[in-house]
Amino acid sequence: MRQAARADEYAEFAAARTGHLYRSACLLTAGDTHLAEDLVQETLGRLYLRWGRVSRVDNPAGYAQTVLTRTFLAHQRRRSSRERAVETFPDVADGGGTDTPLRLTLIQALGRLPAKDRAVVVLRYWEDRSIEETAGAMNSSSAAVRTRCSRALGRLRELLGEDIGTYARP
Amino acid sequence: MPADQHGDPFENRLSAALRQAGGTFDSPRTGLSTAGAARGRRMQLQRRATIAGSTAALALAGVGGALIVPWDGSPAPRPSAVAATGGSAKPAYSADDMVRTLQKLLPEGKFSRTAARGTGEELPPLVAGVFDDGKGEGSVSVGLGRIPADGGGINPSAAVMPCPDGDQTGLDSCRTELLSDGSAITVYQGYEYPDRREDTKAWGADLVTPAGHHVSVLEWNAAAEKGKPVSRPEPPLTTAQLKKLATAAQWRRIIDAVPEKKRTPAPATPQGEADVQFQRMLSVLRITLPKKLKIVSSGGQGGFVHVVVDDGKGRSYLQVNLQLNMSDAAGQLYGSDAETLPDGTRVATSQGPGEKGGEGVVMWTADTMRGDGRRVVISAFNADSQSTAATRPEPPLTIAQLREIALSPHWDVLGG
Repeated sequence: MRQAARADEYAEFAAARTGHLYRSACLLTAGDTHLAEDLVQETLGRLYLRWGRVSRVDNPAGYAQTVLTRTFLAHQRRRSSRERAVETFPDVADGGGTDTPLRLTLIQALGRLPAKDRAVVVLRYWEDRSIEETAGAMNSSSAAVRTRCSRALGRLRELLGEDIGTYARP
Repeated sequence: MPADQHGDPFENRLSAALRQAGGTFDSPRTGLSTAGAARGRRMQLQRRATIAGSTAALALAGVGGALIVPWDGSPAPRPSAVAATGGSAKPAYSADDMVRTLQKLLPEGKFSRTAARGTGEELPPLVAGVFDDGKGEGSVSVGLGRIPADGGGINPSAAVMPCPDGDQTGLDSCRTELLSDGSAITVYQGYEYPDRREDTKAWGADLVTPAGHHVSVLEWNAAAEKGKPVSRPEPPLTTAQLKKLATAAQWRRIIDAVPEKKRTPAPATPQGEADVQFQRMLSVLRITLPKKLKIVSSGGQGGFVHVVVDDGKGRSYLQVNLQLNMSDAAGQLYGSDAETLPDGTRVATSQGPGEKGGEGVVMWTADTMRGDGRRVVISAFNADSQSTAATRPEPPLTIAQLREIALSPHWDVLGG
């Protein structure tokens, strides 16, 4: 019976968080929605495996985001041990969303960042994590996150211009 | 609002833009959360199955040296799984059967210090040991595998190890021939160290049959492939004996007894499997690192392992990355200045500044790729992390040592 209750609890959590995890994954993968779905599935699978522990942490949603980030970074490492910004953009599958100029421009700019820098940007500015929390999620040091963050901001400034608001929908 | 913590107006604008853009990705397809749970259940089953098979593999990584490729890095179904599905029962061969088989096929002499894997293991069958015909010890190993048919037939000539082209092959001899049963065999005489800094000779025979059996025999004129002095002028078996040993029908019967891998899409690496892989890589690193380096901490997951070592002169960070099936990226990864060894392995080394901002940090790397696309990259730093200041002028391992670790055959027995 306890197992059934736990399964229900997991199902409820997954149903509530899948949408947000998917949108985070879309940003991490710079718009590759197929890969994003796969990463979310993998993340949910890992959470399922450890649900007993996950359900007891203070912030299961934050924990899920950390698992997603690590799953994404592990995927990138398997692809290549060297960081390299993507030169060509993935076919942005139409997930039913609206390709606004802002989204296209932002996704393209994110795609030009190395994977770890992109993860820092997503955690810091989409998830609103602190430097320390970002470092924890990425198994990295605060100093390394600061370096990545300032490098990524510099690059995004170059690509997007100082006034990102130009691309925003009216 | 946490975004307000950002001091720079650009950061605030970026945050707002991300939220706006991220929100335009519509909800994922229905059923994604259910699919996630299903993957979790699969992982749970695989985790239970893989951990059971890891101990034997670890033990063999310590003695191994067989240049054979595991099926594809995925754990093969265990015999009990085959029985449970009601498939036709195949005879199983134990590790002892492997040892006895090789013993019978070797010429008169003493075969000792053996280690083996049978057909019920996660990794393919293997037997290794020291053979002494009375004229000195030589290490001998036989690895068995199966070449996947990939829908079409198997062309043994294309699948067998090719002899390198040109005069400077680094081999004393190499010959591929077609046998009357349609099999192809390459018999070669080469050296353990391509730069011949030691006289250890490595001879071998590589056989592929039309049915996809793959037999790889290796022998050395020393009691181990590396780290032992030469104990005789040449390895114990002649090229004719190598050929006879590789073509023995016994090996094919054993390969036939290995359960076939089920043709299902490969699942992404589950966490449990990744942990096992990390432990195996750490075990190989322990074996291949010089003894003076003490591992003080370690971490990693999947095909990635990092350690901090101490030789008494300052702690240093080392990392190793193992990747499979990277052949298609070889052109990008290894430039024209990369070295190609006689067996087709590509090697690129580099010495440069660290990438993560630690003051005075240097990063030395040996990046290698076997002919089958198996890539092993090892980097050493002169600091105990990539982002902290240097603890010593140089990493504790030379480029030559890094190269040797990356080229160790111990990595070849690991899956992906």
